[in-house]
Amino acid sequence: MESLLGSLLSYVLLYKYTALFFIVYSAAVIVPWPANSMLLAVGAFASQGYFSFWFSLAVAVVANTLGDLTGYALTRHYGDTVIRVLRLYKVRFFEYVKEELRTDAAVTVFVTRFAGSLSPIANFLAGLVGVPFLIFLTYDFLGNFIEPFGALTLGYAVGSYWSDFSNIMSLFAAVVAVAIVMFVLVRIYRRIMKKYGK
Amino acid sequence: MEPNHRNRRLARAVRYALIILGVIFLVLIVFAVMQYRALRRAQVINAREFFITSLIQRHGPLTANEAALIRPWMTFDYLNRIFNLPADYLKTQLSIADPHYPQLSLGGYARSGHLDPNVFLGQVETAVRAYLITQ
Repeated sequence: MESLLGSLLSYVLLYKYTALFFIVYSAAVIVPWPANSMLLAVGAFASQGYFSFWFSLAVAVVANTLGDLTGYALTRHYGDTVIRVLRLYKVRFFEYVKEELRTDAAVTVFVTRFAGSLSPIANFLAGLVGVPFLIFLTYDFLGNFIEPFGALTLGYAVGSYWSDFSNIMSLFAAVVAVAIVMFVLVRIYRRIMKKYGK
Repeated sequence: MEPNHRNRRLARAVRYALIILGVIFLVLIVFAVMQYRALRRAQVINAREFFITSLIQRHGPLTANEAALIRPWMTFDYLNRIFNLPADYLKTQLSIADPHYPQLSLGGYARSGHLDPNVFLGQVETAVRAYLITQ
């Protein structure tokens, strides 16, 4: 991961905002880049005057949102085929996930923005179950603003010592991701118990 | 199989998944706390007002003591900026003939010139320190 992050950072330093855009975009679609650690570093570069904090934030938010929309649009368009090929209509758990996303789309879309590498899965599922476009866009954008803002601000604050914070930030991101998966599962569990508990 | 029975099985599976995730969650929390304490011990996080002061003030150029922060992914242009070096200082000191200078990463330059990356990094560090000490 260290050397992968190093390679990404070289590209970011060489091609600046273009590289930042493509890395964040591809991470939002599906590629498991260490995007948060990279944003932490970009925040540090901004504190050294090598990047603009606000422009980096704008690029990260736009790239993240476009990446999420790509995932959403793909499954929204080809969703029926995917469900048929993978025989998802036979999986009961998938039915509950669908119900969860349909009835509480706003909450689910918003909280899954902080689920790190799991957030592309939520995008695919949102497209698959047909979450309304405007709801997806609004809550996706909101979540996508908060997450990079946090990473960039922390990087800006710690400056050149950002790499010391990379591990703790990855751990924190993992804690949040697990908490979100648990949150969604608890809601699904409650739904099952409400329907069939008696 | 009855739908009710299938739902009971699903509920049980979700319950087990939640227990496993709960354990993972606690382990991650313990690791995060340990990491935080390690940072405090290393005095990287040393004051409550740390964030406020560091957010207000833009960080200045790095000093000679911080030359150890140089990494292979850094570019010459970036080094010139963060250590406030003259544009051609490293080019002259390290006899770099590559026309892409300073838009080159240290690791990339070492690889393309068949140099030992660690030795080259050491040379860059020494050159940066030498400049900053004389300032």
